[in-house]
Amino acid sequence: MFDIAPDHAVGLYAALVALPLALVALRLRTGSRGMPGTVRAASVLMAMSGAIHLGLVGTHLDEILTAALFAANGVAYIALSQMYSWRWWRIASASVIAVTLFGYLGYIVLDFDTPDQVAIATKLLELTTLGFVLVPVRGERPWRRLRWTALGAAIPILTVVTVATVWIDALARPDAQHAHAGAVLQATNDVATPEQTAAAQRLYDETAAAIAPYADWRNAWAAGYRPGGSQTLPSTHWMNQRYVDSGYVMDPHHPQGLVYANTKHGPELIGAMFQMRRIGQFGPDPGGPLTAWHQHENICFTPFGLEFSLMTPTATCPIGSIDISVPPMLHVWIVDNPGGRFAVDIDDRLVRKIDQS
Amino acid sequence: MLLLMQSLFWLIAGISAAPFVLGGEVFMGALALATMLLALATLLLGVGVLWRRHRARGWAIALEVVCLAGTAILLLLPIGFNSGVVSVMVNVALPVAVIVLLRKDSTEAFS
Repeated sequence: MFDIAPDHAVGLYAALVALPLALVALRLRTGSRGMPGTVRAASVLMAMSGAIHLGLVGTHLDEILTAALFAANGVAYIALSQMYSWRWWRIASASVIAVTLFGYLGYIVLDFDTPDQVAIATKLLELTTLGFVLVPVRGERPWRRLRWTALGAAIPILTVVTVATVWIDALARPDAQHAHAGAVLQATNDVATPEQTAAAQRLYDETAAAIAPYADWRNAWAAGYRPGGSQTLPSTHWMNQRYVDSGYVMDPHHPQGLVYANTKHGPELIGAMFQMRRIGQFGPDPGGPLTAWHQHENICFTPFGLEFSLMTPTATCPIGSIDISVPPMLHVWIVDNPGGRFAVDIDDRLVRKIDQS
Repeated sequence: MLLLMQSLFWLIAGISAAPFVLGGEVFMGALALATMLLALATLLLGVGVLWRRHRARGWAIALEVVCLAGTAILLLLPIGFNSGVVSVMVNVALPVAVIVLLRKDSTEAFS
């Protein structure tokens, strides 16, 4: 969702080329000066959307139907971007945009395509264009009330439905590199070799032995570990800033973090966490797919209570929180985590079970 | 229109925090509420601009300047702030467009 698919990048370049051309075309066109600003804005945005669709035809030739739809869409948008003085321009434009939006959502739901930055940007351009098309112009009498109603209802509904569909798809069908929303996995081989399995076992044994003293949280506190988030949540990462700053790399005796379940008897140690210092710098991976690191990206972090949520597909966070990414990390779970000893997440049911024990 | 889109983006951001509130993140509840109120305020500013209220224009420009300044700071900080196409469109291009349009004559921008 936050990446650009290689076969979609060309659409972005096409839009950037189309922008100045559309502005020049608007300036050269006699009579365009007298046109309302909203109509001229719609014309430019439609030309950009058309260019994106036409740009994608070439990279989708192996999917005949998709390529044909891109071509038809592109031609329709480009033509409509220049036909703004036509009597039926508004209804034709609104229809084409609405059909395109619903068509794209159908593609997403049916898993024919995965939303990426180019797709989301195009949908936002189309939604904005639809708004400009629907805005009644001063002095225009026909359909005025209907257009205001459509603007007030259709744009919010379409925007929320589009964003929700894109987001649900990204959450429900993460690609191979995304363990879940916001976590990007290190690229590895598919199946662990015997050597990798043995190396993963060694890492587990050494780490479990090294962090055993921290089963008593007071020892962890004395060593410099501090809770890094709310202790009302099922589990909390305790971070050692000295170890983070020192740059230890996957050292079982100096894990940057410890993970405690917040039980009614107090913090109970459930694992350790190694963390690299820089975003995008994945650590050594002795166990191949068993010990793949992960990086959390596009998290909305708030200092109030040290809480998190996820950035929306429209790249916004709740106010009071900021979008951050954190350097790659690797967990070692010393409890029987159903997802595995090095899984990205701890199983919530297991944490609840520990709490109740 | 652009203010309507911006208010929708904030509304979605506010709603998006709700599941985390249910998961026990109590402060996110306050942020979600504040974000939805900001979305409402932005929508009302849009209506005010449409009705040619000079004060609404001033507030809208101020809001966009604050958004741009915040985005600039976040882009400069090494915290991995998203600088993708959509982020640039929503957090940079949209506020710039609103400021440019509102600085122009209102009949030009909203006729």
